[in-house]
Amino acid sequence: MVVSVPDSPPASARVVSAQWLAMAFVVVATALFVLYPIYFLVQASLDVGAPDTRPPTAYGLDNFAALPNYSTIMLNTLVVTFVATIMALVFGFLTAWILTRTNVPGQRTLEQLMTVPYYVTPLLGALAWSLLGAPESGFVNQLWRRLGGEGALIDMTSPMGIAWVMALFEGSVAFVMIGAVMKSMDPSLEEAAQVVGASRLRTMLRITLPLVAPGVLGAAIFVFAEMLGSFSAALVLGTPARFYVITTAIYQLVSQYPPRIPLAAAMGVSLFAVMFLMLYVYRRVTSRRSYVTISGKAFRPRVMDMGWFRWVLFALCTLYILLSVVLPVATLVFSSVQRLAVAFPTADNFTLDNFRTALSLNAVRSAMTNSIILGLLTATIGVLLTGLLAWMIQRSRLPGRGVLEYLVMFPQAVPRLVFAFGMMWAWLVFPIPIYGTFWVLLIAYLTVFLPLGVRTISGVIMQLDRSLDECGQVCGASWGYRLRAITIPLLRPGLLAAWLLIFVASVRELGASILLMGPNSKVLTPAIVEAWFSTSTELTAAMALIQTLVIGIAMILFVVATRRASQQGG
Amino acid sequence: MKDGNKLRAASRRAVVKGGIALAALPLATVFTKRASAQGRPVTKVLDFTTGADVAKAEAEGEFLFYTHDSEPAAAGILEAFSKDFPKIKGKYIRAQNGALFSKTIAERSAGNFSVDVIQFSEPATALDFQKRGGYTRYVSPQTDAYATEHLSNPVGDYFWVGVTFAGISYNTEKVKAEDAPKAWKDILKPIWLNAANVKQSTSGMQFVQWYELRKLYGDGFWKEFAKLRPRGFDSRVQLFDRLAKGDDKICALAEYAGYLLHKEKGAPIAFVTPDDGMPAAQLLNGVADKAPHPEAARLFVDWLMSNRGQSHYQNNPYLYYGSVRKDAAPMPGNKRLKDFKLLAPSDMDHFMASRDAFNKEWNAMLGLL
Amino acid sequence: MQVGAPTPAIEVASLSIKYGSVVAVGSVSFTVNEGEQLTLLGPSGCGKTSTLRAVAGLERPSAGAIRIGGRTMYDAARGIEIPAEQRGLSMVFQSYAIWPHMTVFDNVAFGLRVRNETSLKEKVHHALDLVKMGPYADRNASQLSGGQQQRVALARACAFSPTVLLFDEPLSNLDAKLRAEMRIELRELQRRLKVTSLYVTHDLEEALAMSDRIVVMRGGNIEQSGSPGEIYNYPRTAFVADFVGSSNLISGRLLPEQSTNGCLALETEGGNILHGITHGRTPSPNPTLSLRTVHLRLSAEPPSDAQNVWRATVKRSVFLGDMTQLHVDWGGRELIVRQTASTAYAPGDATYLSIAPEHCILLERE
Repeated sequence: MVVSVPDSPPASARVVSAQWLAMAFVVVATALFVLYPIYFLVQASLDVGAPDTRPPTAYGLDNFAALPNYSTIMLNTLVVTFVATIMALVFGFLTAWILTRTNVPGQRTLEQLMTVPYYVTPLLGALAWSLLGAPESGFVNQLWRRLGGEGALIDMTSPMGIAWVMALFEGSVAFVMIGAVMKSMDPSLEEAAQVVGASRLRTMLRITLPLVAPGVLGAAIFVFAEMLGSFSAALVLGTPARFYVITTAIYQLVSQYPPRIPLAAAMGVSLFAVMFLMLYVYRRVTSRRSYVTISGKAFRPRVMDMGWFRWVLFALCTLYILLSVVLPVATLVFSSVQRLAVAFPTADNFTLDNFRTALSLNAVRSAMTNSIILGLLTATIGVLLTGLLAWMIQRSRLPGRGVLEYLVMFPQAVPRLVFAFGMMWAWLVFPIPIYGTFWVLLIAYLTVFLPLGVRTISGVIMQLDRSLDECGQVCGASWGYRLRAITIPLLRPGLLAAWLLIFVASVRELGASILLMGPNSKVLTPAIVEAWFSTSTELTAAMALIQTLVIGIAMILFVVATRRASQQGG
Repeated sequence: MKDGNKLRAASRRAVVKGGIALAALPLATVFTKRASAQGRPVTKVLDFTTGADVAKAEAEGEFLFYTHDSEPAAAGILEAFSKDFPKIKGKYIRAQNGALFSKTIAERSAGNFSVDVIQFSEPATALDFQKRGGYTRYVSPQTDAYATEHLSNPVGDYFWVGVTFAGISYNTEKVKAEDAPKAWKDILKPIWLNAANVKQSTSGMQFVQWYELRKLYGDGFWKEFAKLRPRGFDSRVQLFDRLAKGDDKICALAEYAGYLLHKEKGAPIAFVTPDDGMPAAQLLNGVADKAPHPEAARLFVDWLMSNRGQSHYQNNPYLYYGSVRKDAAPMPGNKRLKDFKLLAPSDMDHFMASRDAFNKEWNAMLGLL
Repeated sequence: MQVGAPTPAIEVASLSIKYGSVVAVGSVSFTVNEGEQLTLLGPSGCGKTSTLRAVAGLERPSAGAIRIGGRTMYDAARGIEIPAEQRGLSMVFQSYAIWPHMTVFDNVAFGLRVRNETSLKEKVHHALDLVKMGPYADRNASQLSGGQQQRVALARACAFSPTVLLFDEPLSNLDAKLRAEMRIELRELQRRLKVTSLYVTHDLEEALAMSDRIVVMRGGNIEQSGSPGEIYNYPRTAFVADFVGSSNLISGRLLPEQSTNGCLALETEGGNILHGITHGRTPSPNPTLSLRTVHLRLSAEPPSDAQNVWRATVKRSVFLGDMTQLHVDWGGRELIVRQTASTAYAPGDATYLSIAPEHCILLERE
């Protein structure tokens, strides 16, 4: 028998490495952020004891038992959500199909423009469309009456109107999702049909549609879940007309005096349960059937020649962008320069006073600064945090990976408003007084944007060939060295894209901020909402424009900077 | 506690006929003697006397003002103050009355004392705050210019920084002359279905109107009004905004201040002063306990109480409140508070006890929860 | 206290790898001696790549032991597992794993930099010259063609003079011509550097041409191991017989009276008598013999052999270029014969079929 040389010290196999420590810390922090508010939300919903006393003096299901009394609200929510989802899918599908499968002119520009509605935000859209379509004072209706019509042509405050505004802005999300599905379809599947003589229409109906159906279904479920938790359009358009959906009802219950926290919590928990279910179904649908391979390989889909018809399609796409971006902004500008906004102002109705007043207000000055700083912090910390999490989920050998993934995706199932409600309730009793400060907003943003960051960065990591890292391992590089020398440089473009995405998301955030915003920590979008409800529309329009302009400039600067940085990486 | 009768008689004698029927706050049987400035040296700065140490106030350099007023209003007040005292920077935070109170209490219970001066729009809120020891007792030299009923009890916690009152307003383009309302009963006309707006139950002003008109016309009054499915909003600016644009035809709680502001903008609206009187609500302002900038806070309050501050409250278009100062100048439109017949609760305890009933009825009426 | 044979460079003992409940590699044991190339050969899914990665430290086995150069890298029983970055090996990946954001120089220098080596530049250029990629040192790695990337991967693996090289199907992404060239170059390189190689491939020719020893794997287990010649000429199982080259498998009833001294005879169903050799294996009552297609001979005239001559009819003829493949009917059963195209046969032709008994190998009983 050969007696071998003494083995290398076994210690290296068992030592707690830096990798494990970092991971453990991140997991614990994530669990805390995500689950702590949920616990308090549930606790509040079961509170049937003395009002305004904490901790609850008695527990029970009475709050849930009271929910059927609000069945109109539930019904409203369902109606608006369904209609909005269908509309958004139509917008998204049409534009995705037009821009990926036809030879529409200006395809690349249009595709870029399709993401702009996301930046315009549903809130601004709601404000503008309220100005356009309020039954009495809406510009469109005023025009209608001037032309001899009776009554109101459109009513933005109706459920249809609310759904319209929601769909207009969520449509761009549907577009991105469905576009991705279409781009990942192997064109040879359609070519095979054409070769045996199927017409273009037949190919589309019998081959294309069934193949993209699961992906579209997935997008539909996702959009539906988002719409359920949607807040801004219903707040601006519905509340004045006494039309409530669950989210605005929760907001109302919480902000009225005296507030009815337990009932709001019960509503929040129900909404959360439904959304959780939907997202569970979404994951089952998208993970099971992969008719379409999402291998990170993007196919070049076959483009159909539409002849002269492509100009019609061009017009359709342009129309969408007009309705969701150009028209709202123009309306806001038009209103902000009037003393009393009407469709046909007289010469003496024009003024710049609104801008002058707006610039003197807290809401404009401190809110903008806060939002930008908060955006910077959230994006930077967020990318670090979600990058680490995405790596752990995708590439590590941690035993609890699956659980971590569910934990991270959890906030997606909770409407932002409800989550913020839980946070508000949770952090109020936290021994360190961070409630109402900047920091609680930061924590809230980081938590609700976890899914966004992890999803984006996971996508980038998936495209990274595993062997690149393994080779580094075999060459003798430690985890840290590999991270620095191989992983991060290769991921850089993706990381920068995620940074920008999180920055934009945090600046346009409403649902969570509106409840957690403290007197000293005003942020942009809720400040605009507050202005809407406590000052004149013209002043609000001026404020919204100033804020959007400043943020827009900041974003363009960042986009340019990140683009340059990602090019340098080579 | 209820010396109401005696005091009402006394104040009526003190006021010109047709004047203010404003309620006195519950007074102790023993009249607290106002100790002038509690032994602080009184100095004169600009044209008013103050018990604050101006030099120290300027050294503090800033203060924080919590108010229920709209943002432009708050910004305007602080701008005016900083014109008089450029070395002191005032910052404001604005929230609905109820929300303001909850936030402040939450902060203080968490050990966070950052507010210097606080203003509420409901006496109940101010009393609650006082009970919790939220105010600093500071008797300003300006209190001499105020009647006892317009100060806190005991004196020095807060004072009535202004009074707002409301009538009816309607859109002249949308409402035919013959339909125009003239008295409170007219807001119940069926033509206002889906076309009337009022404030939400969070509003102190709204609470007063509810209470007073119920007193005048009985419990059924508001039930009739509810049939018109009125819309409720948070601020008077919203109410007038919609009225001016024609989204609503009539505003049943039209604050005079809001009317003046929008009329200036050229809105096609008219104001009606019902003969049976106009509900009025007072705004209460005082220095907070454990204020981080105590001298600046006192200086600000003195300024507010003085003619300088009061004239600002009367003339700033975002405010237009009436002043209760004994020697106040007239409001824009050359009217004084005492020219109006104002309605206000006399029995404060009964008034405050009916809050819950009001909330329920009002929220149900507005289709809220 | 060294005794006898030198320490094998790689020792794999009773290694097994499980993914959940799926057994990717059953108990597998082999050794690679210093300086030799051992190839793990088998179809996809046979566990060869998993085994290689386990040796590299990129997969975690479930049981067994791995020793490299005498150092225990993994031992399940004693709870030892050295991470990949500390094993001091070198590996060439199937996808080359060239880092696109670095230059060729930086790619090759990586392992050296990690070890803080001196005379970096020399070593890198030396390695690049070995693979004839010297002039490309400053080129951006993402601009290289497949073949060039493969060479750079090789240079990278050799840069820090490793003693053990692992190859994970490095040539499978190249076209046939290039593959043939690279085979030879790789072999040369190994000889020159005197490295021990563990090589994984599914390509038979590659394995036969390059290896000192081959381990044929199937379904996570070793079917046979031995030199290329041994495996080709004396396959142990039906699988090896048909995987390594093409073979006709013929079973029949053993004729014990004629089966002595390392020979055996059987009678097929069709009534033909077949003589073969046992190669030290014990025949069962129903043995199977492997007859390579290239060893079967067709002739128009009866050959002069004493044994294993039969009449057969050509059924089909397939022209394969270097060879012709003929399907003949032999006692009711089809046999495949491959021969260099000298005589053309047409379907229906009657011929004589023969094969030397030394080329009829007994397979081990299952």
